[in-house]
Amino acid sequence: MSQKKRVSLSRRTLIKGGVLLGTAFAIGIMPMKSLQADEAAIATNPKKQMGFSYDEAKCIKCEQCVRICQDTYKWEDDTPWRKLLKNENGDALSMSCNHCADPACAKVCPVVAYTKRESDGIVIQDPTKCVGCGYCLYACPYHAPHVSKITGAVSKCHFCFELQDSGSVPLCVGVCPTQALTYGAMSELSKKGDLNYKGLPNPEITHPSMIAIPKEK
Amino acid sequence: MGHWGWLIAIYLFLGGLGAGAYLSSFAAEKGLLGKTTNLHRVGYYVSAPIVAFGALLLITDLGQGLKKPWLIIRMFLNPTSVMTWGIYIITAFIFVAFIKAYFVWRKRPAPEVLSYLGAILALGTAAYTGMLLAVVEGVPFWNSYLMPVIFVASALSTGLSLTSLLAHFFGKRQVHDAKITQVHLWLISTEIIFVAAFFALVYSGSQEVAKQSANRLLTASLALPFWALFVIVGLVGPLLYYIQQSLSHKSTEPLLMKEQNAYNHAGTLENTQQGPGGNGKSQNILLLSDVAVLVGGLTLRCVIVFAALPIWSGFLN
Repeated sequence: MSQKKRVSLSRRTLIKGGVLLGTAFAIGIMPMKSLQADEAAIATNPKKQMGFSYDEAKCIKCEQCVRICQDTYKWEDDTPWRKLLKNENGDALSMSCNHCADPACAKVCPVVAYTKRESDGIVIQDPTKCVGCGYCLYACPYHAPHVSKITGAVSKCHFCFELQDSGSVPLCVGVCPTQALTYGAMSELSKKGDLNYKGLPNPEITHPSMIAIPKEK
Repeated sequence: MGHWGWLIAIYLFLGGLGAGAYLSSFAAEKGLLGKTTNLHRVGYYVSAPIVAFGALLLITDLGQGLKKPWLIIRMFLNPTSVMTWGIYIITAFIFVAFIKAYFVWRKRPAPEVLSYLGAILALGTAAYTGMLLAVVEGVPFWNSYLMPVIFVASALSTGLSLTSLLAHFFGKRQVHDAKITQVHLWLISTEIIFVAAFFALVYSGSQEVAKQSANRLLTASLALPFWALFVIVGLVGPLLYYIQQSLSHKSTEPLLMKEQNAYNHAGTLENTQQGPGGNGKSQNILLLSDVAVLVGGLTLRCVIVFAALPIWSGFLN
């Protein structure tokens, strides 16, 4: 009798212990798994840094760069991935995310929805991971990330990384009829200019991977 | 810009309030608030629930995380994000403060290491609420190392006020040691100095956008809540009252025996319960002053969150 009791007790203990261990294991392994996946998510010193170049003198303000981006990636009007900025003096700038060398968005994002690729420095935001806290909206000096009112998630330009991976050019660059908007390695582009442009924030904050060449007046 | 609104402002306020309540009871327990005190328990009870409620508000403010709550667990993942630090600190604080409250409730001595750990985490929680804003270079007004200092000063002050209020309404003994008034006077003075220094730094700095944000508080859209609710009600009113109390204290012990003009119109709180150490009217003014500190603390978080202006307007010059 007493033997039986002992057996049943130990069985119960075993089941209890098993459940506890299993739960602990499951809780432990979930973040561990995602942690491993996110390891080195933000490349601080990528092999190459791709960036945009905008030559204002060549831009005819047709906005095709904006349109093809929206048509392809279906973003809502209030979450623009690319904008053609204009002012009353006739100045213009086509700008998206600048895939900064020091991306403030990636630094503050609590859920590591942002990655910066080792191979080309492209900053990719994964809307499926985003909790929608809005911290990156404050952190980014260039207003690149936006929260969708529909999904509650942030999205932004990803530099058509899939097209680039398959050897094609980004859509906005490809569609530009005058080659005002081009792209290339920052090691070359930065020889021609920077993003100290018409009231834009100091590039020292995030080191944007974009140059803008103002037209001569 | 302007994704963050009321919920985040209240979250930052409650984070500081809960942390301050813990530290008030901790200080009382360690004898820093005078020999006769009834503040040594109630702050512990309310600290974890207040911070937890604040965290709940943060979650309510999430966009996608509210619809897909399993994403929230990922908020532990980015050690470079101050928000992730905050999640670590707040989670640990809620946990420790809850255990500490259990010990206090059972009237059992809690391990010293637990109480001190809670106090460190409480300071961390209060500082985090300011750090969250202070690290954002994209918002020059927030991007000041004085932000966490101001938030900690306000957290301690509001926490002490809340603990005093609760101890008054729920405590068994009505005592109010003069030491509390002195500590509170010191806290409010510190806060005033740091707030003044903050504005001085903003206006002497080179960030035009930060000055525009500061103008919102001092002269433009947020001037009414800033001056009326934060400065007059939350700082100057309590400051004058604590000064007057400290002065009258030097001549008459125990506290709250004498009351003078200036505040008589304000003694409208319903509770006129008399403590052994004071008359009803002065007790009311003390309570009112604690309420005023809380109003000021909440206003501070709101105006600072609402005054945010991005470093770049998003337009070409």
